[in-house]
Parts: sequence; C-alpha cells; structure tokens
Amino acid sequence: MLARATEAKVAMPVTEPVLTKRIPTAPWGDPKNRRTVGVDDFIATGGYKSLEKALDITPADLVNLVKDANLRGRGGAGFPCGLKWSFLAPPDGGRRYLCINCDEAEPGTFKDRLLCDYDPHLIMEGIAIACWACQLDTAYFFIRGEYHHQAKVVEKAIQEAYAKGIFGKQGLMNGKVKFAVDCYLHRGAGAYICGEETGLLEAVEGRRGWPRLKPPFPAVKGLFGRPTIINNVETLAAVGPIVDKGVAWWKSLGCESSIGGAPSYGPKLMGVSGHVNRPGVFECDLGIPLRKLVEDYCGGMRGGKKFKGAIAGGVSMGILGTDQFDAPMDFDIGRKFDVMGLGTACPTIFDEDTDMVAVARNIARFFKNESCGQCTPCREGAGWIYKIISRIERGDATTKDLDLLLEIAGSMGIIPGTTICGLSDGNNWAIRTIVNKFRGEFEARVKPYSVAVSSVGVSAGVQLSVLR
Amino acid sequence: MSWTTKPSATTKIPTRAEPYCTQAMKDRWTKELLPRYATKQGALLPILHEIQHAYRHIPYQAMVEIASFLSIKPADVMDTVTFYEEFHTEPVGKCVIGICQSIACEVCGHQKLLDHVRNRLGIEPHETTDDGKFTLLALECLGSCDTAPVALFNETLHEKLTIETVDRLIDEASRADGGSGHH
Repeated sequence: MLARATEAKVAMPVTEPVLTKRIPTAPWGDPKNRRTVGVDDFIATGGYKSLEKALDITPADLVNLVKDANLRGRGGAGFPCGLKWSFLAPPDGGRRYLCINCDEAEPGTFKDRLLCDYDPHLIMEGIAIACWACQLDTAYFFIRGEYHHQAKVVEKAIQEAYAKGIFGKQGLMNGKVKFAVDCYLHRGAGAYICGEETGLLEAVEGRRGWPRLKPPFPAVKGLFGRPTIINNVETLAAVGPIVDKGVAWWKSLGCESSIGGAPSYGPKLMGVSGHVNRPGVFECDLGIPLRKLVEDYCGGMRGGKKFKGAIAGGVSMGILGTDQFDAPMDFDIGRKFDVMGLGTACPTIFDEDTDMVAVARNIARFFKNESCGQCTPCREGAGWIYKIISRIERGDATTKDLDLLLEIAGSMGIIPGTTICGLSDGNNWAIRTIVNKFRGEFEARVKPYSVAVSSVGVSAGVQLSVLR
Repeated sequence: MSWTTKPSATTKIPTRAEPYCTQAMKDRWTKELLPRYATKQGALLPILHEIQHAYRHIPYQAMVEIASFLSIKPADVMDTVTFYEEFHTEPVGKCVIGICQSIACEVCGHQKLLDHVRNRLGIEPHETTDDGKFTLLALECLGSCDTAPVALFNETLHEKLTIETVDRLIDEASRADGGSGHH
C-alpha cells in the first residue's frame, strides 16, 4: 500500500503527520501496522509534553493562543475553537464542564474513530489542556453507542491517564497545577441527533436527545445548567500540537481564504469512502483539491471509472457535482461550490454508474429515521421528502413532484428559521443540491404533469384554468 | 398519539417477583455511577445499557425499579428508553445483526447482504426469529465507511463483508447455543 502511494510521486502538502504522528497512514506508513498506542508508548514518543508546556501558560493566554491559531472546529460547523472558549464567564466556584463530542454518526464520516482506535491519549492530552485553559473541572467523553470497541479503548485510556496522574484529585499532571479534572466516558445509545451539541447535553443528563433552544448557549447555561464547552474529538486532538509547536507553525499549514473569508489553517483528517481504490482516513492540508485527494491518496477511482459526484463531507453538506471534482477541500467550499460547507471533510465518492436518485433516496431515508421528532417541519417534512423521492425512484412521480420536493426541502431548517437545530438544514441542503446538480436524472424518471380531461368529468381545477 | 393509547391508570405491566435491578447492581451504581453526575438522572443511560446488556431488553418492571432507584418518574425512564435505538422494550435475539444501510454501504452493495440475511433467516429488518436466536436490524451509518459494507454482530463490527462471511458468522452464532449473546 505504501509503495503504491509513493509511486504516485506527487508532492504531498503535509510534510509530516501531525494528528497521525503515531498512526501509520499513507504516505508515511502502512495502515497494516496500526496498533493502539498505550500510555507508555505515548509518553515515550513525546506525549503529554504539550500538556506540561500548557500548564506553564495561564488559562487566559492559552485561550488567546488557540484563538490566534484560528483553530476551526473539526466537527462540521467549523466554528473557531478559541472564540467558543472565550464565551465562558469567569469561574464562579461552581462546576464547569467539557463534553467531548464523539457521536460521529454523520454518514460518510469515520475520522474520529481513527483517533479513538489508535491514539486515544492524543485526545486525553487535548482534553486536559482544554480543561486547564477554560478552567473546566469535569469532562464527559460522549461516544456513540455503536462504537463498542472504541468505547473500550477510550475507557482504558482514561484509566491509564488517571493512573499516570493526568486526571484525578491531586491536580492536573500529578499536581503540577492545583486544578483537578475528572474525565468520564458516557456512551450514547444510537441517535444521530445526540451529535448536535445540546442534544448531546440532554443525553448526558439521561434524557431523550432533544436539542435545546438557544440562547442560552451552552457556554452560559449548558450541562446541568452550568457553563459547558462542547468540542469535537479532532479539534481537541489538534490543541496539543498547537501548544507544542506554536501558532506560526499551525498557520503555515492549510490555506488562506480565497474569497476574503476566515482562513482554513492546519492539517485535517479526511476520510474518503465510496468508489475509490483505497478508501480510508488521510491527513492532508486544508485546501487540497478533491481530485488530488482521490488520485494521490486513494489510488484513483475504482475500476478506472469516471467521477460523477461526491458528498462534500457528511451527507448533510450536500453534493459536489461532476464539474466540481477540483474543489479545494477547505472552509470556503460552501460559498464557492454551492454546498453547505466542508462539514467533517469526509467525502463519499460516486462513479459514473451511480444512480443519483437512489443516493437521494438513501439520504432522505437517513434524515427521516434520524429526525428526533421535536419540530414539525423536520419530523413531517423528512417523511414527505422520503416518500416523494421513493415515488420518483419507482417511476410513479410527475414533474410537479420535483417542484414540491424542492419547496419542502427549502423550507426546513434553522436557516429558513423553522426548526430548533440544524438537522433539517442538512436534509434541506442534501436534497436541494442533489436535485439541482443532477436535475436531468430526476427529470428522466418523472412523468410530465398533466390533468386527465374527459368529456364526462372535468375537475374543478381544470375548469378554472380553462376559464382563465 | 395519546388518543389511541389506553389510559395508563388501567395499563397492567408484566411483573415478576425477582427484581431486574439486583442489589449488587444498585450498590455498584451508587458507588460508581451516581458520583459522576450532578443529577441522579445523569446515570440513566449507563444503567439502561447495563439492563439491556443483561436481559436483552428493558422490561417495564425494570423501568419502574430504575425510576425508584433514581428518584424519578417511571415515565421519565420510559421517555428516554423509547427514544434511543439501542434500547428495546421487547427481547432481541441472542445474536443481533445490524447491517449498515447508509450511503457508503449502499453504494458498495449492502442490499445483497441484507436480502441474503432476510431470506436465510426468514425475517424482515427489526424482526426476531421465532427461536429467539437472531434479530435483524437495518442501521444507519456505523462509522466505518472505508470498509463498506459493514455490519455489527452484537458488539463486534465486521468489515468488507461478503455473503460468504455473513453466512459463516450466522453459522457460528447458530452453533454457539445458549449464553453467547452479549448484546
């Protein structure tokens, strides 16, 4: 595998692995050699050095450091991590929480699993640094229920971290600072919506994962009514390297915005699936064109087929069309290529034989199944969309159904302002982009809309249109 | 749909004399789980996982027992139980086969696997075989899209599945009679 990856002879933008430093990943290593890095191996390879360094910095300076680095959240929204941290009020003596979001249930996304599987202490180090920077005393590692193996690996890592004095009542890093952090694993139970940050809070509180109305935002009133920060696994894993190597180094990776937006600094885990020769998680600089990702890292399209389209990064983000294969994978992608955003940067690639109507039906079913049922437009709309697309797939639909589909999809979500959380926006973008970018395929499957007019019975609607 | 359900006051739930939540469980929960959370209800998800694991479902009686242990209403427990896909109010089979049906698995051929298991076991997704050995589930993304198609057999994820592998796994589960179920 390694040999084939190097044969490609194309400059790899990330010169050395950062998040995958201890996880053999092409082009630096062979995934076959992957194994879970235990605490001793982690420390022997420079682990927990960043934490030691971080504890010499004041919490306020640490928050500013992450802010200066412009670390954008890796969970999907790309919200600046340092800015999120700075929303917290100063400590008032009560409890403050960190929730680690490892719900990773977005179809196509499997990057956090890699970190949990093989380098869990990199996440632990990030957790400890975040807790010190934000003065948070309790961390809940929320992991999706289906990640049975990963939950065991993370639980073991937490216990090892306690044994090494990272967590525990003596204070962080064997009492180097008099600030104690507890970390607990909390398993979800099979609900996509718990990846939404306030849905996650409800799940930790033992309730159904219904997202909360905001404001108040979690930084003000979150878990158990207390200030809470929720960060993605990969975001936290990136904090250690930033503290260790500095802001200038971080900013030398990734890219600036080409449209005057916020920059996309740093490396990013990108999980590629679908019709490619070597699917998997790779670490690339933000800004790498999708084509390069597929051709250099994934060994090209499977069976030498042509590229037809790709899910931009988790199905919620929508779809990249056949002519958008060169789209750079950075946080500008949403504005430049008519998708919702970069999402988790885990594209699913489709070849020329893929039936886009079937893809749309699959995505619609996902959102129908995973709508939590709290807001009517999402609960009902997701079901309608699924029914309409199924009708199109069967060949029972008319052109009018396509318009109806777009109308329903366009009215769901927090951007149109009809729901509490963004689950429906994902449905909205996925369906609208796929229908708009592959309109011909949908039109070929629907019958022209016509009203049967007979001499015996003429419907009221037709009479009216005739009169007009 | 409250108008289609029976008035709860007259609803009888099946009960047994022996409690589902044993004293040993409760002692451990008190020692290990309750201190982790600011409210007692915080411990509900880990407790439900344990009950589901031990009895392959969450009986109504167990919900009442958990409610009294956590000083919350049984309805609150049921509210949570019925929301999450991994908690079942009816017993699931000893071997729960959860085939991923999300996008990467679909484009890599999950339908053939699903149809094969349906035909072989004679059940539709979300049904259990009459002998109580197998439950078939069609699940949404299992987070292993690079090795699609994938399926969970109880707690173990199997990747890059073929019909041959699925057959072998079903054979193994059929032979492992009795207490092999560890869902």
